[in-house]
Amino acid sequence: MLKKDLEMLVALQDLDLMIEEADDVEKLGFNITGCSELKNARDELAGRLSKSLLFRYERLRSKLKRAIVPVKNDICLGCFLRQPTSIGTKGREDDEIFTCENCGRMLYWID
Amino acid sequence: MQGSELQKYFHEPLFIADIKATTKNDAIEELLNLFLETKHIRNRHIVLEMLHTRETLGSTGIGKGVAIPHGRTTAASDVLIAFGKSEAGIDFDAIDGKPVHLFFMVIAPPHDEDNVYLPILGSLVTTLNIKKNRDKLKKVETFEEFLSVITGE
Repeated sequence: MLKKDLEMLVALQDLDLMIEEADDVEKLGFNITGCSELKNARDELAGRLSKSLLFRYERLRSKLKRAIVPVKNDICLGCFLRQPTSIGTKGREDDEIFTCENCGRMLYWID
Repeated sequence: MQGSELQKYFHEPLFIADIKATTKNDAIEELLNLFLETKHIRNRHIVLEMLHTRETLGSTGIGKGVAIPHGRTTAASDVLIAFGKSEAGIDFDAIDGKPVHLFFMVIAPPHDEDNVYLPILGSLVTTLNIKKNRDKLKKVETFEEFLSVITGE
């Protein structure tokens, strides 16, 4: 897997979160008119991912709500468990996607 | 959520008394740059894309001279709000078609521990629906003045 794939997954999750909360945001007083455009954009983005990666993402999302979580100061912000420092070094640089050993979510280093 | 609870999400480095931007896109980028400069966010491209996508869902220009561009992103770890003010006003495709003078950019992680993201948005909308607050915010020059309006002091 390439980092580009991970960035696409991040964008996909950001879109999914937006769609998921659109109704709640509208109730607060925001103007929500483009839900169908957003869903189309989501499908288009999902179509650019390999089937296996998309399946992995969807499965994690259905099980854990968030499939990819930020890692900051070596802490997985999904389950708040500290990740081994060695994984952090590789996670920032390698093409490989790492998952949290505790919660199983995909990890995205933001520091 | 009360204004006093909101204040912890604001920080002086995320405050601009005089936005330089003159267009919607530039205003979004100028506010986003504050998060980058303070290292709250490192991946500009991902967050900018999220913010632009959010605008396609419907303009975050909620009318009465106010815009609250917002979104959750996997590229953020904390809920934070940037504030910017434009005296001239910027066309932001607001629902009332009027130029926007007050900008609040809210960035949140995919899930925030205390589940404050939606309450923050709601509290901002409530605060900014009050004309007196908007009028005061249009005049603030310092972060301290800004906070005193937000906290209602």
